[in-house]
Formats: sequence, C-alpha cells, structure tokens
Amino acid sequence: MLRYAATRLVAGVPTLVLVSVFIFSLIHITPGDPAILLAGDNATPAQVEAIRARLKLDLPLWQQFGLWFLDALRLDLGSSVYSGKPVTELIMQRIEPTLVLGLTTILLTILIAIPLGAYAAWRVNTFVDRLAMGFAVIGFSVPVFVIGYVLLYVFAVKWRLFPVQGYKPLSEGMFAALHSVTLPATALALVFAALIARVTRAAVLDVLGENYIRTTRAKGLSAPRILFIHALKSAGVPVVTVVGIGFATLIGGVVVTESVFNIPGIGRLTVDAITRRDYPVIQGVILFFSAALILINLLVDLTYALIDPRVRG
Amino acid sequence: MSRLKQSALGAILIAGLTCGAQAQGTLRLRMNGDVNTLDPVATTNFTIRNASYLMYDTLFALDKDYAVRPQMAEKADVSKDGLVYTITLRDGLKFHDGASVTAKDAVASLNRWGGVDGLGKILYSKIASIAPQDDKTFVITLKEPWGLVLEALAKISSNVPVIMPAAMAAQPASQPVKEPIGSGPYRLVPKEWVPGSIVVFEKFKDYVPRKEPASMAAGGKVAHFDRVELKYIPDTTTAINALIAGEIDWIEEVPADMLKLFSGQKSAKTVAARQSGNSMQLVVNHLNPPFDNPKIRHALQWAVEQKPFLQAAYGDATDRYLACAAVFFCDTPYASDVNTERVLKRDPAKARALLKEAGYDRTPVVLLHVTDIATHDVYYSVLKSMLEEAGFVVESRPSDWATVATRRASKEPVAKGGWNVFFTGWGFIDQSNPMTNVYVSGDCGNAWFGWACSTELQELRKKFAIATTDAEKKALAVRMQEVAHDLVSFVPLGQAFPSIGIAANLEGYLESPVPFFWNLRRTK
Repeated sequence: MLRYAATRLVAGVPTLVLVSVFIFSLIHITPGDPAILLAGDNATPAQVEAIRARLKLDLPLWQQFGLWFLDALRLDLGSSVYSGKPVTELIMQRIEPTLVLGLTTILLTILIAIPLGAYAAWRVNTFVDRLAMGFAVIGFSVPVFVIGYVLLYVFAVKWRLFPVQGYKPLSEGMFAALHSVTLPATALALVFAALIARVTRAAVLDVLGENYIRTTRAKGLSAPRILFIHALKSAGVPVVTVVGIGFATLIGGVVVTESVFNIPGIGRLTVDAITRRDYPVIQGVILFFSAALILINLLVDLTYALIDPRVRG
Repeated sequence: MSRLKQSALGAILIAGLTCGAQAQGTLRLRMNGDVNTLDPVATTNFTIRNASYLMYDTLFALDKDYAVRPQMAEKADVSKDGLVYTITLRDGLKFHDGASVTAKDAVASLNRWGGVDGLGKILYSKIASIAPQDDKTFVITLKEPWGLVLEALAKISSNVPVIMPAAMAAQPASQPVKEPIGSGPYRLVPKEWVPGSIVVFEKFKDYVPRKEPASMAAGGKVAHFDRVELKYIPDTTTAINALIAGEIDWIEEVPADMLKLFSGQKSAKTVAARQSGNSMQLVVNHLNPPFDNPKIRHALQWAVEQKPFLQAAYGDATDRYLACAAVFFCDTPYASDVNTERVLKRDPAKARALLKEAGYDRTPVVLLHVTDIATHDVYYSVLKSMLEEAGFVVESRPSDWATVATRRASKEPVAKGGWNVFFTGWGFIDQSNPMTNVYVSGDCGNAWFGWACSTELQELRKKFAIATTDAEKKALAVRMQEVAHDLVSFVPLGQAFPSIGIAANLEGYLESPVPFFWNLRRTK
C-alpha cells in the first residue's frame, strides 16, 4: 500500500510541472499589467517602468518562468507583486479558514446526503423518495451564491443568529470558528449534498436488489441495520468517488462562497490575485490547489482499498 | 417562536460566551478597496490615502473652508520678497517608534514626495534649496516667488505629503516602504495585517493633538477609539448587511440601488457625502481617428448629454447627482458655465451635420468597456445608443478594469491595441484645482491619457501657478474651461455625491472629501 501511495505521489510531479507551464502561459497571455495597476492613475510611464523593472516583469517570459521554476523547486513561490509578502506566507495565512470551511462542508454534506440518499432508495418511488430527489434537483440547480444570499438574509440579517461575514480563527475557540463558517458551509453543502444524495440513492438501489440483502431481510434484521451496515458498505465505491470529485468542485464553490461571506481564505486570495494580475500568487495558489487535488485523488484511491477487499486483492 | 429558532438562539447564547462581543473601543471600517501598502507617496490609490491618514500626519492641512492651517507645523514665516519660507515644527511630535519628529525627517519626506507628486514636482521646480536649520526648523528658499507653497504642503489628496522618518523617506518612491512608521493619531499593528483581509491600527498614546477643534484635515485629531480595523469586504451587499447587523461601523460608498436597504433600519443610516463629490467622464483619445479631428470631437459633445447617464446610474435618488459641465466641478471657487452648451445639451442633428462636414468615414469608435464596475457597464449602454443615433459607428472592447487600465496607456492605433474612448471617474478634490485637474494640462504626449494638446492651456497653468489674487486665478480658470471644452480633452458626464453608510450610534464624523476618523466617537 505504501509503495502504491509513493508511486502515485511521484507520478503527480509531472502533472504539477505541466500545470505550472500552462498557468504561467495563460496568465501572461491575459491582458493587464500589474505594474500599471500598482502605480495608480497619476503615474508617469517612467514610474510604471521602474515598478516593472523592480518586479522583473521586463525580462523575457522564458526567463521569468525559469526564475520562478527554480525558486519553486526550493519551495519558494516568490513574493506577491501586490503586497510584497511571500506567496507561501499568504497561502499559510489563508489555509485555516478554507480548511475549516471545506471540512465543515464535507462533514455537513455527508451527514445530509448519505442518510437522505440511502433512505430515498429504501423508500423508492414513494412520496419521501420524490421529496428527497426534489431537494436534490433544487440543491444542484440553484447557484451557490443565491443560496448564500438567502441564508445570509434570513439567518444573519433578519434573525441575527449567525454573523453576516468574516471568520473567527480556531485560536478563538472551536465553537467560534464553526459558528462563523456555519452559513457558508451550509450554502456549499446543499449543493454537494444534492449530488451525493442522488449517487447514494442510485448505488444503494443497485445493492438492495442483491441476494445477500434479501437474506438479511429474511433473517429479520432492522431496516437501519440493513441499510447502513450492509447496503451502504457495498455501495461505498461510487459514493467515495463522487465525494472525491466533490472536493474538486468544492474549490470552485469556495471561491464564490468566500467572497459572499467575506471569509479570508484561499478562494478569496485567488479571486483578488486574478483581479490584480498578481502573477506569483495566481501561480502559487493554482499549484497549491493542484497538489491538493492530487493528494485527494490518492486518498480516494486508498479509501477504495479500505472499503472494497476486491481492490486490495 | 418556532422550536428550531429557539434552539438556534440557545446555541447562539452559548456561542456568545465563546466568541465575545465586539469591544466598545473598536471602530470597524470598510473602504472601497484593499490596502496593500501604507505608503501614500508611492501610490495615488485613494484607499491607501484614506488609510494612511490614520497613521501619518502632515505639516499643513486644509480646514473646512479650504484654508491652509498649520498641523505638525507650529508656524510658517514667509520673507517679504516671498522667496524664503521658514517652517517651525510644534512641540511634542513623536513617531510611532518613539523617536522625535525632526526637521530632518520633514525635509527628507518632502524631498521624496516632491519627486513623484504632480504638484510636488512643480513646487520642487521652484525650489532653490530646502534644508533643516535646527531640529525644529527648516527653510525652503525659492528661485522665484510662487504663491502655492503652503497649499502644496497642505495637499489633501494623493499623493499626500506625509511626514515619515528620514531613514524611511530615503527609499525611492517607486518602492513602497515595507515597515511604515508615522506620527499620526493611530499606529499600525503589523502582526495583525493580512493583505486582502484586514489592517489593524491602535491608538497612539503619545500623539498630541492640536488644541483647535477638528475641521476637515486641520485642527485637533483626537482619537476616541482604542483600535481601528479596516476590513476588506469586496462584496458590497455583504458589507451593507454587515453594517446593518452591527458587525462594521462605516462603509465608504453605498451604491444608489442599495440605499433602500437602509429604510426603516435603526442600526445604520446613509449620509450624502456632499464634499466627496465625484464625476464620471468620457476620456477622448486625440491621437487616433476619428477623434484626431476637432470637428468630430465637437460632434461627440453634441451627441451626448448627462441626465440619461445619471438617471441610469442613480435612478430616483435625484439628490445624489447633479448635471454639471464645469471643468473644476460645480459649487467650487472655480466653477463656471462658460462654453458648456455643447456639453450639456444633446442635439443629434447638429452632431450628424458636424460629422458630415468633417467627412466622417464611419471609422468605428472603439470604447474600452469595463464590465466589472457596475456604473461603467450602465454608462456604456446609454452611450452606445446616443452615439449611434448621432451617426457614429461604435465598437466595444469588453474587459475587466485591470485590462482597461493597461490598454488606456497605449498610444498605438486602434488596430495595434489602441483605443478611442473610455469611462473614468475623478474626485472633487483632485479636479476642482486647476493645478491638479488632469484635463487642463494640455501637455500633449506628457498629458494624462487622451493626450490632449494645447500650448494655451500649458501657458494658462503656468500663469495660474504664479497668480496672486483670487480674481486673477478665477479668470484664468474660466479661460482654461473655455479652452478645454473646445479642445474636448474629455466629456463630463455629471457630478455625483456618494452616500456613506454609518452606524447610527456614531457621532462627530467630519464632512470632507477624504474620510477622516479622528473626532468620531460612539454615543452608546
């Protein structure tokens, strides 16, 4: 297992290199000059040129990439052209809110989606099934920012139960941190819960027709035991796959949600960096997201092995 | 109350114990932009200017009547021939690192500012020497009399001539200072500064405010809060909701279409910032056809009028805008209605006639269309139909502001990445002064984007700089307006008064074109 994990990690390196080249090319093709944005409205061409030279934006593209790549090999992702701070420091500052938001979202998603999907399968073609799948369709169809604004208006502005915006760090207490991400995590979770509930329903439905399930019924086991102990375990592989894909989609969702709820996470860092043409930060966060995705895919593969003995074999 | 709501409230009560309420001594502000540096000399960015006023001080300042008053300076003695200015610093001035503010720091700071600021450069072109005389006094000696020395040192908007330690001021202005130190009423808390999220200041206990009452940038800068947090909240709806919910205390600008969100709210209100007026303009590129032809530029003036733009942007909030074609803004000392007929009145027939007379060959007017700023987007829709009705062919180049900010600097033909027109906005304080208004420089290739060229405008500005009486200055400003509207360096699209959003329990907010946060206190 360890050897498999190590091989997969090494195989991720060329992917990261390709992503770097692709992103570097893409952002330099995009029009917009960070030096002009930094200089302000009254700057003279000489002032803009001085800033460009300071940021080494006057070098040929291949040299800029070469310098960045050599530094990246030493885990130095350069400094933000906007704030002057090291990109790694900016990412480290922003990891906690995104991680807390992401993990809370996944937890909420699993808590909502898997029981809902499994129960809908158990009560297939009944009113409960239709209601659950109706929720799934709505959850998947409504954009996350719309859900975000509705939650914000009802629970933060009208009822004042949660903060409108901002993030409380874990250093202020676990409850404070969770309280500050409840609304954004719910907004995101509703979208993913919809997707995962549908897949869970389909996977459990397949399994419920199997002989061994019929046997458990014949033995008189309770419905929750059949559903959650026997059926769900076998239906686990497609569900884990979709949860893995959900992580990838979550990155897009986090970008929007962090903006709506003003969470100072990596999503917001990405949007701000793009608006400001902050090249080192854009490259840094995309590299970070790519590495995170490679790691998540690996974890998903390892989870297959844990829940399905045939994969281990 | 439903059971769900009851349980949730219970949870919040517990949460309150953990989270803690906002301290009474904290003022929480949301400005239009983010703060990436606290060096108002290295950039003209208004958010940075506003934030910098919390932590820096200036030698002189403008009061509410726009009169120059000493701030860090105790006094300025001017020699009879008007060539020597002896400036003395007041007692008790300290930097945030504990060091005393000296004349050496003041001179070094002014030298840095004079190298980059427009007005500063003009001042420095008049200076024969500037040097400290002792720790508290420095002397400026001019080559020739120039009446705007103290006005320049009291400049309220970007670039602000703030005073910083000499060692910091030794850094070129192209490189923003990394560890800013000021001598203002609040000091930066560097370890809590997260770019793109929050900047924190705390009250500087050693700051000695002037004895006079606060009056715009002048007078006593009394800090009533222990801590000031500048929160960067990019989404305006979220910021307004946060203000109404009591999570923040002040928003720099509430868009007109969101003013209604405040009706019936007891926690927050909006105030029309009459002193912070700004205006939108259509900037015209004189280098590229068709607007290299003066007659076609005049046709452009006849093709547009301001009201439809203002109505589209501000709706029924009619007290928040004003149709105004004065180059130096309406309701200002240099306001005038001379030569404004073509600008204020729309006449598509006259525009078409002028186009025909000028031999307009249907060369498309290429507009840099900003899609990520709501007002620009609205203005574009109005402009396109007006121009087409007058006989222009219009082509849009939609993109974000970052792209337009780069492309507008191009002097190339349209086919090689150039442009014809773009929208921009300027504030009252910058444009009401003939020395800083970018549209009356007439400086050809060195002028602001559009590169309007007029030797008469250049001469008028030189004369204005040495004019000594108000009547003389006014006459020169009126002539500048006449020439500028004939030249069409820009087409003014109306004046607007942004609304600030402010917590209802704050008092003492100073009316000013730049937001200041001293004198402000919480009533309950």
